[in-house]
Amino acid sequence: MAGISGYVKGLRVTARTAMRTMFPNGLKRPPSPVKGSVTVQYPHEKDEPAPRSRGVISLVEEKCTACMLCSRSCPDWCIYIEGHKVKAPPRRAGGKARSVNKLDRFDIDYSLCMYCGICVEVCPFAALFWSPEYEYCEPHIADLLHDKRRLTEWFETVPDFEPYEDGAEVKVKKVPR
Amino acid sequence: MTATSDQQRHAYVASQAAEARVNVELDTGDMILNIGPQHPATHGTLRIATQLDGELVVKADPIPGYMHRGYEKLTEVRTYRQITTLVNRIDWVGNFANEVPFVLAAERLMEVEAPPRAQWIRTILFEMSRIANISLFLGDMGVQLGALTPVFFAFRDRERVLNQIEAVTGGRFHPNFDRIGGLKDDLPKGWIAETKDCMETMRNFCDEVEDLLLGNPVFQARCRGIGVIPTDVALGYGLSGANLRASGVDWDLRRDVDSPLPYDQIDWKVWTHTDGDSFARFWVRLQETREATLIVDKLLDGLPSGPIMAKVPRIIKVPAGEAYISTENPLGEMGYYIVSKGDVGPFRVKIRTPSFNNIAIVSWVLRGVFVPDVITILGSLYFVLGDIDR
Repeated sequence: MAGISGYVKGLRVTARTAMRTMFPNGLKRPPSPVKGSVTVQYPHEKDEPAPRSRGVISLVEEKCTACMLCSRSCPDWCIYIEGHKVKAPPRRAGGKARSVNKLDRFDIDYSLCMYCGICVEVCPFAALFWSPEYEYCEPHIADLLHDKRRLTEWFETVPDFEPYEDGAEVKVKKVPR
Repeated sequence: MTATSDQQRHAYVASQAAEARVNVELDTGDMILNIGPQHPATHGTLRIATQLDGELVVKADPIPGYMHRGYEKLTEVRTYRQITTLVNRIDWVGNFANEVPFVLAAERLMEVEAPPRAQWIRTILFEMSRIANISLFLGDMGVQLGALTPVFFAFRDRERVLNQIEAVTGGRFHPNFDRIGGLKDDLPKGWIAETKDCMETMRNFCDEVEDLLLGNPVFQARCRGIGVIPTDVALGYGLSGANLRASGVDWDLRRDVDSPLPYDQIDWKVWTHTDGDSFARFWVRLQETREATLIVDKLLDGLPSGPIMAKVPRIIKVPAGEAYISTENPLGEMGYYIVSKGDVGPFRVKIRTPSFNNIAIVSWVLRGVFVPDVITILGSLYFVLGDIDR
């Protein structure tokens, strides 16, 4: 008889979960399994990823100086940068003309990227940001190579900076991540 | 024999063939059955070559290596920062726990210590990855026995833990959050309250699994007294983690080893079981998951304020030396032996993973059991393939 109670206990859990899924508003209300279920019907409704989620890397082109730090620290070398020097007008009147790096090519190959975030971290000029956007699958693997223009477009989806938990002494960054 | 004619030669060949036929018919010798590498019950590409006599296993050899990725060699050509993102992929279900011993070993070599707040957050995430890992086992053990419900419960509630890890680190499976000298970032606002709620969910999940499986007579019949590992054998094969504690050895690196992680500052309990069978291993892991949720709650309550990063140079060069640090990972003792020659990357890293040592006992424990029990015992030993082959 001890065995029967084990079965009954298990069935009670299953029944309770089924009730919670089918009748989330109580037994007297009509069943609504859409509300009670924990899954999301993906193309019709979407789960919101966390703001810190590492979805896609966006680029602020004006800030990039083609210093190659991100490209060199990338574990699988999936960032391709090319640039050339241009003469810029001097900062002060009568000063010497400066030479500034101009970005020609900034490609990230998302078919290779491991989403580790080292490039975003090492960037000394805050030109790279994470965005939680995730919908950029492609039928052809070559199309996963995002060029400068496409990476810049991702910047619109970068979330604002979120505050820290109490007790944190990290300096709050003004720029979005 | 010297064949004098074609006729004689043919007669000889025919007699040999007839003899061979008789031998084949009379030979009741053992049958070789490969369980894996693509068997659904092996959680990945582990191949177990079993020699069967009828339904009994005479001999079983685990053959790993189908998913070898060469991480020990890769670490020699990567910088320390890049290695933490690599080692995330060793035990992919207990993601964050992989980087902690590596970073602790590197910190010991550099003689820096992360500030208290960083250590506490590290421990919280460490325990949460333990919950994410073992809750998968709790559901998976039902699947090995044909019960499909627990695994859906496990995935439902494990999702919340992964969401919480993602909210802090940015990655569900590959957090890459530990840095030498501290952490990458602090906790976001509102995370503590949500995590406490999540831990409550996990405790409910543990109760549900207990009701679903532990009392079930089928589960009891399939697990009690099956795959018994006595204490001396467990120690002799170098088991660690819950597999060892289920054999009655009170041994837990979180408590026994002096480490910077603040396990000594809170109350918690190490669970052991004396039976050493599949049931004991399941029971110990169930209690451990529950204990881990309580540890997370206590750590969240006592979280100190302060910085999360110690002073470290921008380009990390670890001074020459050797260090070994092991921690109690979800699967057992995981350790990194780092040999540094003062470069930006280590000279050599030896990774001691728990699953690799835990499956060594497979050839001992599977001898003389029935074929269906092979699956339960393998399930209860709980290994992760990435952890074996790395």
